[in-house]
Amino acid sequence: MSRIVIEHLARVEGHGGATVELVDGEVEDVRFDVFEGARLLEGLVRGRTYDEVAPITSRICAICSSAHTLVSLMATERAFGVVPSVRTARLRDLLLRGENIESHALHLFLLALPDYVGAPSALAIAETRREAVELALRLKRLGNRIQETVGGRAVHPVTAVVGGFASVPTEEALLELRGALEAAQSDAATALELIAQLPPVDVGRSPTAYAALRLPDTYGYMGGHEFAIAADGRAVTVPIEAYRSVTRERTVPHSHAKHSRWNGTPFMVGALARLAVNDAHLPPIGVRAMEQVGLARPFEDPLDNNRAQAVELVVDVEHARALVDEELAAGGDVEERPPVHPREGAGTAAVEAPRGLLIHSYEYGKDGRLRRADVVTPTALNAVSIEHRLRRAAEQHHDLDAPTLRHHLEMVVRAYDPCISCAVHVLDRRRAT
Amino acid sequence: MKPTVGLFGLTGCAGDQLVVLNCEDQLLDLARLLDLRDFTMAASEPDEDCPLDIAFVEGAVLSARDERVLRRVRERARCLVAIGTCAVWGGVAALDRLHDRMGLVREVYGDAGAAFDTLPARAVHEVVPVDYTITGCPIEPAEFLSAVGQLLLGNLPIPRDTPVCAECRMNEVGCLLLDRGLPCCGSVTLGGCGARCPALGVPCIGCRGPAPDANVEGALAAFAAHGVPAEEARRRLEMFAPLPAPVAAEVA
Repeated sequence: MSRIVIEHLARVEGHGGATVELVDGEVEDVRFDVFEGARLLEGLVRGRTYDEVAPITSRICAICSSAHTLVSLMATERAFGVVPSVRTARLRDLLLRGENIESHALHLFLLALPDYVGAPSALAIAETRREAVELALRLKRLGNRIQETVGGRAVHPVTAVVGGFASVPTEEALLELRGALEAAQSDAATALELIAQLPPVDVGRSPTAYAALRLPDTYGYMGGHEFAIAADGRAVTVPIEAYRSVTRERTVPHSHAKHSRWNGTPFMVGALARLAVNDAHLPPIGVRAMEQVGLARPFEDPLDNNRAQAVELVVDVEHARALVDEELAAGGDVEERPPVHPREGAGTAAVEAPRGLLIHSYEYGKDGRLRRADVVTPTALNAVSIEHRLRRAAEQHHDLDAPTLRHHLEMVVRAYDPCISCAVHVLDRRRAT
Repeated sequence: MKPTVGLFGLTGCAGDQLVVLNCEDQLLDLARLLDLRDFTMAASEPDEDCPLDIAFVEGAVLSARDERVLRRVRERARCLVAIGTCAVWGGVAALDRLHDRMGLVREVYGDAGAAFDTLPARAVHEVVPVDYTITGCPIEPAEFLSAVGQLLLGNLPIPRDTPVCAECRMNEVGCLLLDRGLPCCGSVTLGGCGARCPALGVPCIGCRGPAPDANVEGALAAFAAHGVPAEEARRRLEMFAPLPAPVAAEVA
């Protein structure tokens, strides 16, 4: 028997690894390992008043902190029957675009790109191709500027509160942001070209299902009341409140971990899943971007998620500018916030974090304190799919030398843009094994 | 010769390492000035054995694995800098002190939880000696960069000791607690954030931990004067770090 162990996977957020066991060229076992400590935040947040909940759950993960903050606020708003204003929805949309731009620029160029060019890090790439790394850093900076302008801080935003925003961006700040977004359009186009030119790497292909928030009209990361699971060209929709019917964990034979599957098929969440579910709402620039990077159904290559992120970068830079224009035209200095009256009740909300579907579900007690919290994170949802694709890659390439196979396996995991701080909230079961 | 540097994450949200990567305008300069040997979040092929002139450590100690990693980093490092509120104070994970931790573990992970490598949350200084701290949830990019500059000159930066309240006064922002009755923790929280939240109309939630001479009795009295009962006041003030012990005992 031979075993390939990736002890501590580098260039991902958090502490995780992978183990593949081969017996006579057959894949015996595959594990996506999580070593992150258990912080038990869903338990620690119980008994808190509504205004304390999002600041704590945001700390589940920095790289998705805007998504965690907003989905937390939305779950509380559902529980209390609070309906935020159109303007709040617009600013939240903008905040998520900022996070998506930052996270995708970080993942594509600082975490994933080194694999394609055989470098240990983007900093090493900068020694020979400084302009490419500078371009990525400019885009990353842009995403953070959006989050700073709207959320008050790039990591763990502070202005977003239950009902709306404690303060809104000034006209001056919006005009500056608009200038930055305009200047960034050419950077986004260049980033897309760079990703389109990446050499193809064969890590195995396999049909898979995709799950994403189903959007009513515009391509984006929030809105709508159901999610869709697409497989074999068909899509099934499920109301957000019924998320447990899809994410319910099941015991699988090869591990003690419990896993999410859809009708027995592993499903993937993230940028590629969003394109699979919502491509009808893509603006023309997104449709052209898909063609340019060679993305076409049936999306069977896990590395296509990298290309899908590049498509979203271009879409988001354009759409963020439109949102800033709307805000400049319609905004004002004061945010009208609906009153918030804590009451007993339950609320579930979902948004698309950069790495996929993110769900928070809360129950508040009569005293207005949080009674129960359930958080389902994208990387936890992706765990089965990651193992499935690791297995495919190992089956297809078992005859490769160990370092090359290991390199392929690392690329598979990284393509999911895993966030292991998030994942630990479900996956810790595995650590007992 | 460039100092050898490592950046490490124990258990946390990786927000402080992310802030380092968020120094987009300085990142390539940092890479030029520092010999970054071991920074797994950003680079593969780490040198896991070399001595380190500076080790930055984020996150709290929540497992035997964390403790092993931290002790090894301490052995290797001439100067160990704890970055972020989790590393400096324990952070939100250390709220476990208010709960039955093993009960929560069983609740979240079932019976299998009993076999987990899980320990009550500890700050870095509770496990190994720490040479310098940069607090914040997350850390402020400017404070990190300024500390790197000082360390490059061979200095330990002078620790800050003023609370968020002082920065609010400099911003000429009206008091959220005294004027508007909002439960603002700024009077007892260590500054350095430029009082960002109050300036945006958001009460300080104490994410940077307590200022050294925090007048906790005064803060509790001010909270009480605005209708915030002691239990709630204490809960809010202790979200990211425990209150200084004598006062906490008094309130309890």
